[in-house]
Amino acid sequence: MTDISFFNWLRGEGAVAAPVGALEALRGAEPVLGLAVVMLLAVVSADALYRWVRVPRACGWMMVGALAGPLALDVLQRGELDPWKPLLDLAIGMLVFELGSRIQPRWLVDNKWFALACVLDGLVAGAFVALALVWLGVTPASAFVAGAVAMSTSPVITLTTVHESRPRGQVTERLLMMSAVSSIMAVLAIKLVQLVGVADSAHAKADLAGAAASAAYVAFGSFLLGAAIGWTLERLYRVASGRGSMTVLQIALVVLATLLAARWTLSPLLTLLVAGVIARLQLGHRLTVEPQLGTLGASLTVLLFVCIGLLFSFDGLRTAWPWVFAIIGARLAGQALAVAVTARASGLGWRQGAALTLALQPMSGMLVLLAVSTFSWSAQLPGVDQGLLRALLAATALMQFTGPLWAQGALQFLARETDGRSAT
Amino acid sequence: MTARAPAASPLPAPAEPTSPARPLSLGAFASSEPLTVGVELELQLVSTHDFDLAPQAQDLLRELRNHTGAWDVKPEITRSMIEIGTSVQREHGALLAELRDLRGQLTRAARQLNIAVAGGGTHAFQHWSEQQIYPTERFHYLHELYGYLAKQFTVFGQHVHVGCEDGDRALWLLHALSRYVPHFIALSASSPYVQGVDTGFDSARLNSVFAFPLSGRAPFVRSWEEFNAFFEKMTATGVVESMKDFYWDIRPKPEFGTIELRVCDTPLSVEKAAALACYLQALCRWLREEKPFEPIEDDYLVYTFNRFQACRFGLAGEVVDPKSKERSKLRDDILRTLTRIGEHALDLRALDACNLIRDSLFDGNDANWLRAQRRVGVPLAAVVEQAVLRWAG
Repeated sequence: MTDISFFNWLRGEGAVAAPVGALEALRGAEPVLGLAVVMLLAVVSADALYRWVRVPRACGWMMVGALAGPLALDVLQRGELDPWKPLLDLAIGMLVFELGSRIQPRWLVDNKWFALACVLDGLVAGAFVALALVWLGVTPASAFVAGAVAMSTSPVITLTTVHESRPRGQVTERLLMMSAVSSIMAVLAIKLVQLVGVADSAHAKADLAGAAASAAYVAFGSFLLGAAIGWTLERLYRVASGRGSMTVLQIALVVLATLLAARWTLSPLLTLLVAGVIARLQLGHRLTVEPQLGTLGASLTVLLFVCIGLLFSFDGLRTAWPWVFAIIGARLAGQALAVAVTARASGLGWRQGAALTLALQPMSGMLVLLAVSTFSWSAQLPGVDQGLLRALLAATALMQFTGPLWAQGALQFLARETDGRSAT
Repeated sequence: MTARAPAASPLPAPAEPTSPARPLSLGAFASSEPLTVGVELELQLVSTHDFDLAPQAQDLLRELRNHTGAWDVKPEITRSMIEIGTSVQREHGALLAELRDLRGQLTRAARQLNIAVAGGGTHAFQHWSEQQIYPTERFHYLHELYGYLAKQFTVFGQHVHVGCEDGDRALWLLHALSRYVPHFIALSASSPYVQGVDTGFDSARLNSVFAFPLSGRAPFVRSWEEFNAFFEKMTATGVVESMKDFYWDIRPKPEFGTIELRVCDTPLSVEKAAALACYLQALCRWLREEKPFEPIEDDYLVYTFNRFQACRFGLAGEVVDPKSKERSKLRDDILRTLTRIGEHALDLRALDACNLIRDSLFDGNDANWLRAQRRVGVPLAAVVEQAVLRWAG
């Protein structure tokens, strides 16, 4: 699917000498300088796109990142992002913490049909993706991995869309909750993948028990660490409640939580979600979570989306396009079914159900990589068919790149929950 | 026919411009059982996340479409409001029981949607420009006509209907009650905060009402025939088309055979709402049966002054007696009135209601309670959360 001549043109082949010289200079520059220039271009381009054609800014940021990466201009290499990983972890961590502080687990008790919808959303989407891939000839083990990754709706894109278009309403609230629940389920499902992988090995019986214990350790350990972080935030805020201290405390504790979770091989996602929930319960109205943590967070978010763009890989589109579209289509069908089955009983209209289904489409790629040492999918998902991995990367890239369009379009035009509230 | 809570709108329906205007007749005043009451409450829907208004009236109405009970629930001008109306009631106990049932079903439905319901005349910190007009033809028409005033009218009132047997007696009662309008404003006042600011008023909600044309008081006409003639003159001007166009503090509702008191803020609890309705019921009985004075037009000389005092200072306001011209504290005036109507409250089985009203004179009104929740460093969202908890009982 890649248009070679177009990318050649972008790389400067056949173009005039001056731009080629500038590109060469950037390619030879320090990665930090390269990334800084790309960020500047991303902010300006995304803003222009937003003003001209109302394309969500996140799409613009990712587009510039993709163009700067190996996909087109080759200004930055994916490996050059590894030193930035702690900053990106912080950006994701803050968004996940904010998501935790926004959702209310009590809702799942009050509305059991909605709780069922949250579980079915991930399970049915994952099952449909796995079944579709098996039907297309993928080995069950690899198909299961793809299903596990497809369960999750990206909390990063969901929250960024909510920050930008400021929707208010039932679909928005459900989208946030389902994004959180599906992400947790995806983390647990990926753990299960490792567990199944162990079960296939020679010393299956002994290793299986160890792996199950390890999964339980991850779940309970992450919960306890998250609770401790939330509790600590409340205690520290009692001592230091001065102007701006809440933001600083949150940043410090999110960094701490991410590092500790990584060191103790826990799930940073689950840890930070629980930390957000517990912090809200403990602090109540005293907990102010600035959207994107104000200016600093906004910069981190741009950096994050530029990097997401840089990491895009569309190789799978050329080599395994049936798998790519099977993943996207089966996931959409599974989520539509889960929402439709529970919509009316849980208090949602059909139009809202359709909006929710579309808003759930952004897939999560960064989630899989949060707090691992490199941006390597294959390191996280060992034993997966390389062809399928490429297809999975392409499907995730497509649904991340178009994700803000799906989410914003659904909330604005179908659910009508923005009503002119978009941030300028 | 008995009094019933009608499908009242918070805004006067403007007349479509027609030229030349054709006089319309108001028709007969439907007879209803005297002193029956019906209560309407406009309620806030708030997010449980930030306690700002939540535009989810359609979702809640869908959840409530199969509710059990004789009460009614319908949309209001903006998507963060709903209006509930009780069935016709004769006694305080039954009215309170219905309101509690209504509150229970409403709260359960709201929890399904992760939103909350609150009383109060205004939301403490909502921003009017962020409100969304409820999608009906009529509300969109009102929005086009009144512009930003329609969104600013995201305020929440209690309306009480009292049944009357004919139009003449309804108008007599309407004018006799005018002297007591400040009582209801001060007792129900629950709107000290507007757009995030303490206005200094106990009932700032009524300031929003003043912005509309044809608000204020009804003209001093004593018979239904005279009122019909006034109405025909007004329709001939093309300014009004129906009784809904008048946004008076008390107005007759001929199709239901009631007069409707519209000055109350929605209280923070259903108990207070029922008590206010039954205080009005007992007061009406006392006025009708003992006729302690004959209303005259000069009673209205002090009407707007007394009304302002009640809005601004609540129970601590000073009112001028239109007959004796003496000044007294509203709190004392209400206490004296409670003593006078005691026997009637007893006969109507409304003593519990009057006792609650008496207690609130010393405990303070809901505006005082809301201010007490606002401690140093506590955001207004916390005040709204407390109001939510109080509404839930």
